[in-house]
Order: sequence, then structure tokens, then C-alpha cells
Amino acid sequence: MKIDHSQPLEYSTEQNRLNILGFWIFLGAEIMLFATLFTSYFVYEDRIGSGPSGADIFEITPVLIETIILLTSSFTIGLAVHAMRINRTKAMTVFLGITLLLGAAFLATEIYEFNHYYHVGATLQTSGFTGILLTTLGTHGAHVTLGLFWGTMILMQIKKRGLTPQIANKSFIFSLYWHFLDVVWIFIFSFIYLKGMM
Amino acid sequence: MKELFPMKQVNGFIFSLLLTVIALSVYFLDMSFSVAMTILLVTAFIQAGVQLILFMHAGESEDKSSIYTTTFYAISIALFTVFGSLLAMIWGYMF
Repeated sequence: MKIDHSQPLEYSTEQNRLNILGFWIFLGAEIMLFATLFTSYFVYEDRIGSGPSGADIFEITPVLIETIILLTSSFTIGLAVHAMRINRTKAMTVFLGITLLLGAAFLATEIYEFNHYYHVGATLQTSGFTGILLTTLGTHGAHVTLGLFWGTMILMQIKKRGLTPQIANKSFIFSLYWHFLDVVWIFIFSFIYLKGMM
Repeated sequence: MKELFPMKQVNGFIFSLLLTVIALSVYFLDMSFSVAMTILLVTAFIQAGVQLILFMHAGESEDKSSIYTTTFYAISIALFTVFGSLLAMIWGYMF
């Protein structure tokens, strides 16, 4: 395998470069997946039947906590990639670890939020609005959950084998995934929560 | 320690927090629906751009043009799906 040392580690082989391009194409498909969920949300937003509306059930505090946690985790995974590029393996694992902890804190807040929705009578079966709301939030939350497992496994691989070109490549691709989840959250925050509460 | 926190990343983070605060103004201040939606659309898309270009290093490799093409293709499909459906199913009918 040819290793090009003039490139950052995650780009150092031909295969690595193609893996990154392939992942961007996957992210393109993910954008369209979330677009269909947002479409259904906007169509069903006002179809609340006899159930609650967004303004009735949304709470600003957990939403703000989730937003700040996710923005910070997106920053720390960016720092992890930067540390990786300057060959600071230890710092890189610390930043990746912080990112995963923030991800877990995000998920805990979201579980609290879902519990709140259940108790105020907003379930999947209540109305078109609550159905698509929980489906959209749940799809994002499921992605974060998957990311937690994925990131943990990468962390274990770094501990075991160090930052090889392959593992650097996996870490970089994981960072793309994590930033993407932050982008999706920004749209959820703006067009589901803030729009629903104003 | 300092080399672990490059200015580019730190500034990007502060900028994204700032955009969040601006977006929050639609909740705390009293404004019309169209002004609020404009603020949300502008801040959300700038925020997405910051992530894409600054944090995801979209323009750094030789695959730059393929990466931007696939992303813009996906975003345009997303916008056509969202606004096309709104046009056909919501804005076209006034119950």
C-alpha cells in the first residue's frame, strides 16, 4: 500500500481518499432522508386533532441544553481531527472521549424530553403532528445512538493499534458523521422547536 | 496546549454560538412571522455552511468538486421536496 506522507494521515492512501468521498455521497443520501422527514413534518404540523400543539408541549430549557451540548461536541470532534493531524494521539483520544460523553449527555436529555412528551399525552398515535414529530426527533436520536457505539469502537481501536492510516481515516469519517448530525439538529432546533414556540 | 486549539476552530465555535443566540431572538422577542422565519432561515443555512466548510474540511482534498457537487445535489433535492410538497399540499389549499 502506497502511503503519501505529504497528505494528512486520513488522506494518506488512495483507498482512504475514496472512502472519504464515498462517505460524502452517503451523507448526500442522509440529507434527502431528513428532507423527507421535514417535508412530512411541515405538512402535518397543524394536523393536531384533539392532541396538543407544538407550543403546548415544547420546553425551551431541554432544547437549549441539547443545542449547546451538540454544538460543543461538534467543536470537540473538530479539535480531535486537528490533534490527529498534528500527531497528538493522546489529545485526540481525549477530545474524542469528550465528544462521546457530550453525545451521551445529549441522548439523556432527549430521553427526558421524550418521557415528558409521553406524560403530557403526546405519543406516536396521538395525532399526525405528534407522530411525525417523534419520528423526526427519533430518527436523529437513533443516529446519535449509532454514533456513540461507532465512536466508542474507534476509541478502542486507537487504544489497541494506535493511529494507523486506516484508523485515522475511520476517525475522520466519524467526525464527518458527527458534524452532519449537528447540522441536522440546527434545522430541528430552528424549524421544529423555535418555529413551533414563537 | 495552545496548538491544540487553533483559532479557526475556536472562532468557528464562537460564531456558531452567536448564530444560535440570534436564532433564539425569535423566541424571546416579539416579531412578525415573516421576519422570524427569515432570521431562522438565514442563521440555519449560515450555520450549516460553517460546519460544512470549516469543520468538515469539504474543500481541502482533490475530490473537492465531487464533494461539493454531491452536497449541492442533495441540498437541491431536499429543497425541492420540502417546498414542492408545501406548495402542493399546504399553500395551494386554504381550509
